[in-house]
Amino acid sequence: MGIHDVTGESDGDFVRRVLDGDTAAYAGLVTRYRDRLGRYAMRMLGNQADAEEALQDAFVRGYRSLRRCTDPERFGAWLFGILVNRCRTLGGRRARRQRTVIHDEVALSRASVGDEGEEFALRETIQWAVAQLSAPNREAFLLKHVEELSYDEMTELTGVSVSALKMRVMRAREELQRLLSEAVRD
Amino acid sequence: MTERDMLLDRVADILKEPVAIDPELDRRVLNGILAGPAPRAAPPAVLAWFTRRRTVSVSPLGGLALAAGIAGLALLGRPAWQLAERSTAPQAATVAASAELAPSVVQFVIVAPSAATVSLVGDFNDWNVAATPMRPAPGDGIWSVTVPLEPGRYRYAFLVDGQTWLADPSAPRAFDDDFGPPNSVVTVRGS
Repeated sequence: MGIHDVTGESDGDFVRRVLDGDTAAYAGLVTRYRDRLGRYAMRMLGNQADAEEALQDAFVRGYRSLRRCTDPERFGAWLFGILVNRCRTLGGRRARRQRTVIHDEVALSRASVGDEGEEFALRETIQWAVAQLSAPNREAFLLKHVEELSYDEMTELTGVSVSALKMRVMRAREELQRLLSEAVRD
Repeated sequence: MTERDMLLDRVADILKEPVAIDPELDRRVLNGILAGPAPRAAPPAVLAWFTRRRTVSVSPLGGLALAAGIAGLALLGRPAWQLAERSTAPQAATVAASAELAPSVVQFVIVAPSAATVSLVGDFNDWNVAATPMRPAPGDGIWSVTVPLEPGRYRYAFLVDGQTWLADPSAPRAFDDDFGPPNSVVTVRGS
């Protein structure tokens, strides 16, 4: 993951400016990656407050450790690895406190009429089903099917072997299908 | 495409939709950055430290330990992961310094016969890939470098050919790490 935008500045250009003392240049990297990384954090953690906490934490840690980014042109991939770990840490801490529940029965009952209501209910149900997956399986599913990373890229990010990742993705797919089928029947 | 595949594709499509992130997040990130230190610069040259050698006792890899007070810490080969599997089981990578709070000279060793360059990166050099290049011994593919370390715990890794980031298969892993592939840990103890 590395980007050249319309300004022509690559990730590496921004990183070098920051390391040369131009702190404000880091804002360019934040703007570049906030939405994509924010989406992953939101899907992984299931609520906006935790997602933004993980995202903010990842950006600040990334800045402090910028010299450890050995390939500045792939800053985005490196930062993604930090975010994956922050989501693991934050998710684990939350799981010990309480279970995140996204499935909103009241909202679903309000949205029970018409195509718009069905679409809303479908989205709610999908988010609920994703939240039911185990964290490792959810992580693997999101990286593979939402972020569309290769298994090699996933291994680089997570430190998990390709075979284990394939198993997690397969289990996530099976579990999602079972949960969604049951939700539809209900 | 099966019905199941279509369902899961629909799931993925919905999960790919953008999410709303608080526009204030950018400002909070920059405030967090400005409130703390800048990315640390590479440390100054430490050549003078090398003149203050101390006696150290070392494990792991006693067979690679050198006579001048050294810890040998890694085995790597071609391809790296295959040799890594042949290496010894992780052991305690602990170095005992003979003089309290004085730097110990620690040697890091890696066997990489196919490598063109190898660097040692770690907490002790701010993970600066240019700070601590390793030197090859003629003919046997053994790369080494000595580093003076104060008593403490240090995470480290090897960077082979500027792109392959490897933990030390013979040393404990740093499980508290946030930054991608796992790194290793060496602990330098005071006497």
